[in-house]
Amino acid sequence: MPTEEKPLQFADVNNDIVRSLVVTGRNYYITLGIAMFVALACFFFPWFYQLYYGIGAAGMNHPTVWGTYLASFIFWIGLSHSGTLLSCVLHITNSEWRKAMYRSAEAMTLFSLLVAATMVMVHVGRPWFIHWAAPYPNQMGLWPNFKSPLLFDVMAITTYLTGSLIFIYMGSIPDFAAVRDRTSGWRRHLYVLLSLGWRGTDTEWHRLGWAYTFLAVLIIPLAVSVHSIVSWDFAMSLVPGLHQTIFAPYFVVGAIYSGTAGIVTVMFVLRKYMNFEHLITQLHFDNLGKLLLFLSLLWTYINMLELFTGWYSGTSAEYEQIKYKLTGFYAPLYWEMILFCAVAPLLMFSTKFRTSFVPMLVLSIAINIGMYTERFLIIATTLSRQYLPDAWGVYVPSLVEISILVGSLAVFVTLFLIFVKIFPSVSIYEVKETMPQPRKREANLES
Amino acid sequence: MSSNALGLFGDPVSALAAAGTLKDAGFARPELMSPIPIHGVEEVLGPKKSVIRRFTLFGAIFGGLGGFALAAGTAVLYVHPTGGRPVITFPPFLIITYEMTILFGILATVLGFLISARFPAIRERVYAPETAVDKFAVTVTCDNEDTFSRAAAILRAAGAEEVRNIREGE
Amino acid sequence: MNFIDRFVAGWAKYRKPGYYEDFDYAWTMTIDLDRCSGCGACVTACQAENNIPIVGEEELRKGREMQWIRIERYWEGEYPNAKLKFIPMLCQHCDAAPCETVCPVSATYHNQDGLNTQIYNRCIGTRSCAVYCPYEVRYFNYYDHHWDAPLEQQLNPDVTVREKGVMEKCTFCVQRIRQAKDHAKDDGRRRLRDGDVQPACVQSCPTEALNFGDRKDSSSKVYRSMHDPRAYHVLEELNTLPSVVYLKKVETHAD
Repeated sequence: MPTEEKPLQFADVNNDIVRSLVVTGRNYYITLGIAMFVALACFFFPWFYQLYYGIGAAGMNHPTVWGTYLASFIFWIGLSHSGTLLSCVLHITNSEWRKAMYRSAEAMTLFSLLVAATMVMVHVGRPWFIHWAAPYPNQMGLWPNFKSPLLFDVMAITTYLTGSLIFIYMGSIPDFAAVRDRTSGWRRHLYVLLSLGWRGTDTEWHRLGWAYTFLAVLIIPLAVSVHSIVSWDFAMSLVPGLHQTIFAPYFVVGAIYSGTAGIVTVMFVLRKYMNFEHLITQLHFDNLGKLLLFLSLLWTYINMLELFTGWYSGTSAEYEQIKYKLTGFYAPLYWEMILFCAVAPLLMFSTKFRTSFVPMLVLSIAINIGMYTERFLIIATTLSRQYLPDAWGVYVPSLVEISILVGSLAVFVTLFLIFVKIFPSVSIYEVKETMPQPRKREANLES
Repeated sequence: MSSNALGLFGDPVSALAAAGTLKDAGFARPELMSPIPIHGVEEVLGPKKSVIRRFTLFGAIFGGLGGFALAAGTAVLYVHPTGGRPVITFPPFLIITYEMTILFGILATVLGFLISARFPAIRERVYAPETAVDKFAVTVTCDNEDTFSRAAAILRAAGAEEVRNIREGE
Repeated sequence: MNFIDRFVAGWAKYRKPGYYEDFDYAWTMTIDLDRCSGCGACVTACQAENNIPIVGEEELRKGREMQWIRIERYWEGEYPNAKLKFIPMLCQHCDAAPCETVCPVSATYHNQDGLNTQIYNRCIGTRSCAVYCPYEVRYFNYYDHHWDAPLEQQLNPDVTVREKGVMEKCTFCVQRIRQAKDHAKDDGRRRLRDGDVQPACVQSCPTEALNFGDRKDSSSKVYRSMHDPRAYHVLEELNTLPSVVYLKKVETHAD
């Protein structure tokens, strides 16, 4: 092939990506094995135990009927928020630096959504009837209650899952085609199917560009609506501390915040272990750092507002709520959250910090720990201090809950590890677009 | 039985120029194949209109109407009085409407994409695997050997590194 | 098509705030705190009538006790001058119930008697109704509960035993209301008379602090009682329009 006499810049990208799919080291199998084992032992086993004996295996009690399962649900939905949302926003605003990272960010969206949907199954008391929450004609003539914020959730998450799946898939079609031409065996069959027969003609590019942009435009309001709706699960109740109009923007900002931190973590791992050093650079960490810093400030502001509106309401229930949050049983967790999510991110004012990889990794993990705490506190502090003091109570997660929380992380990692071997985890064609284009050279005229 | 002339180029600019020359020489609309989207195709080969936008619009409208109909219709189908609210309540049903608008907008966009870009391909089509890496190809359908050699000459003159004759059909 | 006709014809009716049709009854309970001695007979009667599981020590310590009606105790002041106040708390059968709108599967709704009902078969156990209820009177079955022999023989055959993962709460003894309606029909009456039906708690109250009846019937005892100047709703500011009316305890010496 005449390609060999070229500087091979474009081909390098193909080689790198195909190598990341086809060449699998021992470390990968070991990691996958551990992740799958942890997922089985810490997620599925306790879940089956809980299914068999009843939800009492978790630590929930009478006033605090929601617990870590729902906190995990919000957490995973939140984590899903930066992937596709960020990717869409950056696509529409034509940001070049998006291109090396968006595929893995979108995958993060997809898998965290899957884990979140599973958390709903873990959360409900009778998951074997969960399909009743879906609108389908049935012999009972019964339909779900469309006035319920929980049903908004069902619709929103279904739509979001469908949209994210389609978005990541559509952006990958040209890459599937590129990989298709380079692989053999079962992989080739898979990619032949997945690439739909993509050839890269000008018509195909044109249609893809349009469809992709339309999807991006549709998904941005969708993603914003998804987390607003999740927040309404809480804000539409009468519980002091939850019944607040600020909840929708609060949740959306929190979601994008933790999601962006999640992207930093994932990018670090990809860069380190998939050898994408020249694709994922300091520039990406710098830009993500700026975004994170902005989001952390916004998040801090909303947190202060939340306290302010509670105080300004002047009702005893809200006062009690604030007092309990700041000084009560869960206060250490609250201050930990403030430290991780409001104080520590201020380090990112320094450019040096933003462009160093390991500190950014540590910070991104700290932020997500803080954000998980936030979701836990939203549920635990409010539900245990409601209107009637007689029904106050403290909730402590049980071993089963903690195990399932750890296990859900392993489920996510497992899914992600399988993903990086099937999907080209960096977009081949969009990276090529950012590279210097091939120029016309007179020497090539002879044929 | 038709044959296709396929010229491989090392850069998008000369590929685009070759396509323009072919079109001016009276060939059917040439097709470009490239590893990345080429800018300025429309200026050379004439504007393209995509039907996807219509799919998206009608999909979204259908989804919106359908979403409201789903929420309001099922509420009437089996009345469950709840919370002192009317059976048909706008604020919650509008959220369902919103989500369904987006869902069907997305699904229709995909359908529009598949139809307008002729996917999935069932038959083999003219293709050069190099175009997925770093080559830019121009293909044009030729009825007979004469037109093929004419097209090949144009492609070579425009700087093609290689010209292939790809037979389609049987 | 039949359905579309129904939809169009019923539009105005279905858009009506409140309930789209008037209910046959508006069952109401009044609780006279002046008479209530806090003895807990209602709690026991309810437990026996409605097959409420005894969760056991372990579960109780976790705070998972089940009492569809409970006596809430509040201490006022410090030890030498401490005063105990109590109030029976049960499902308020709110007309604008927050718990009803949140259920994704409509497992809880308002029935034609104006009762806030819970359909155990339909419940999928999201527990959101318990969060939305400001009175904290919804109880969740964290496990399948057992009655050791021979206790299972005292289960009320008119009431189901709930399985794990299901929410439950006070029904105003809907089985008794249903039965009384059947008897009324047998006697050729169209409506129940005042006093035809009494939930277990009302029946067992030794001081007659609890009163139950239809507030649509202006001659009923409950109607008179709920128009007492001492009448109030718990957490009235939340505007849930409860069907349980409390009569304030009158302090004889205020200090």
